[in-house]
Amino acid sequence: MKQWSLLLWLYALLVVGLPLAGLFNAFLYSVGLAGPLATGFTARYWQQLPGETSLLASLGFSLYVAVVSVGLAIAIALFLVLRHQAALRRRPFPTLLYVPLLFPSLVMAFYLFQLLSGSGWLARMAYQLHLIQSPDGFPELIQDGAGIGILLAQVGLAFPFFTLLFQSLYVDARLDDLRSLTRTLGASGWQFNRRVAIPILIRRAAPTLVLYGVAVLGAYDIPLLLGRNYPQMLSLFITTKLQRFDLSDLPMGYLIGCLFTLVLMAVIYVTTRWTQRHAL
Amino acid sequence: MPSDQSKPVQDAERLAALPDAGPRNPEPAGFLRRSILAGGLLLLFGLPFVLLLLLALGQYWRFPDVLPPVYALDALTRVVSADSALATGFLLSLLIATVVAVVSTAGGFVVARAIAGASRPDRWVTLSYLPYALPPVLLAVLIQPYFIRLHLSGSLAGVVLGLLLITIPFAALFFRSFWGEQAKQYEQLSRTLGCTQVQAFRWVLLPLARPLLITCLFQTFLIAWFDFGLTNYLSVGKVQTLTVQVFIYVGEANSRLAAVASLLLLIPPALLLWVNRKAIVRRVF
Repeated sequence: MKQWSLLLWLYALLVVGLPLAGLFNAFLYSVGLAGPLATGFTARYWQQLPGETSLLASLGFSLYVAVVSVGLAIAIALFLVLRHQAALRRRPFPTLLYVPLLFPSLVMAFYLFQLLSGSGWLARMAYQLHLIQSPDGFPELIQDGAGIGILLAQVGLAFPFFTLLFQSLYVDARLDDLRSLTRTLGASGWQFNRRVAIPILIRRAAPTLVLYGVAVLGAYDIPLLLGRNYPQMLSLFITTKLQRFDLSDLPMGYLIGCLFTLVLMAVIYVTTRWTQRHAL
Repeated sequence: MPSDQSKPVQDAERLAALPDAGPRNPEPAGFLRRSILAGGLLLLFGLPFVLLLLLALGQYWRFPDVLPPVYALDALTRVVSADSALATGFLLSLLIATVVAVVSTAGGFVVARAIAGASRPDRWVTLSYLPYALPPVLLAVLIQPYFIRLHLSGSLAGVVLGLLLITIPFAALFFRSFWGEQAKQYEQLSRTLGCTQVQAFRWVLLPLARPLLITCLFQTFLIAWFDFGLTNYLSVGKVQTLTVQVFIYVGEANSRLAAVASLLLLIPPALLLWVNRKAIVRRVF
């Protein structure tokens, strides 16, 4: 038993200790006690935080991308699972839905860049069909203000995964039997979906959906290729601040990184505890 | 732990066990609807392969041409030439992903055993989620100052260690379902029958865990293979894996080589999909 306990403490030191030490270091940077420009304790950076309009824009944009892309992916997956249940059990769907999972997010971003940019494949087709006269005539679908390219990439990666997830939960919860039962009791198909199937599927999938949302909130690869310089998604905003030549940006970069990590850790903690408590 | 301990593996098995063919539906309307849906998804999922192949093979492909005027294999043949950056990147990615997969699968298996025997396994499970669920680039931001001090920044060892911080907790969470009552009973039985602890581990528990070990090996390989943010940040662009090369080529507006690197990135996961579907889906809840 002693060697197991030693192993666990080594594990804790490596996988939790190092990130926590990093978090502490980031905090020290934010109060002027660490870093190349450290001059002693100061609350200056914390006081400047509410005035960082670019941070608020970045936070808002990240939340918007996470909520909209995960929401859309859930809606598409639910539509496929509930409206095309019989089809999903037949070839080629069980294999077909795995195909998008082969794509690293960077490759998905590169593909959409080549497809949707002003001189991309769709724009070339539109030109040949005389729908546009030049690349400028094609609507902005990447590096645009609304983050359409980012949303499309995130939804394209997420909805096949959610469909597989909901499909497995659908089978596990024996929703086909419940559907028959509710139909016998006089409920319509829409009532079954709204009052029985969707609540069961969402509740069971909730932890995975929340963690997926966290991953999208902290996404880096896709916004790096398909996003604008302003507003940036949070991970990109933080790394940009930390990689600038201006060393005076470091404390603010670490402060935002520290706060963002703490918020995500709290979300992950609450989600996992909730999962354990409800034995999901 | 409550009954959710066996959940991840059950979920993975359920996903893999989804039937390929349901009862026959003779309705023509159902057939038509299924065909339209299949056609739509095939188009959606097949288009990236078509466009990437066109980009890799096409030469002098400029706006407004819909198809390349000339096709050539020179970009693809660069992969097999020993001194090319693409070949080096491919081998480097393969090396990093293999080392990470082997170390984290072995480590995660043992750590999960330790967690199962701990007095408060729930707490260890929650702790394991923190590094695994944090966005990798954020983790890299946090640990980079220490990596600089330890001279690990910009090195292969630093990238491997950084990835292990994500994959070992993942593997530990993945294996927690294995170390339930059944595994304990098998271990006790083999000890009662005269096995030493090492023999019980080697001849009873390892064979029992073999399917899970293989799946975990595949999944941790893919985590490392797909990673870009953490690798690029920790290596400050010096360890040029395939994902880093895709980004570099995109920055240089060299879409041909970016497409070749992208296609190379798809090979291992496609092989895994062919061998074992459940190896692709990464889930620990």
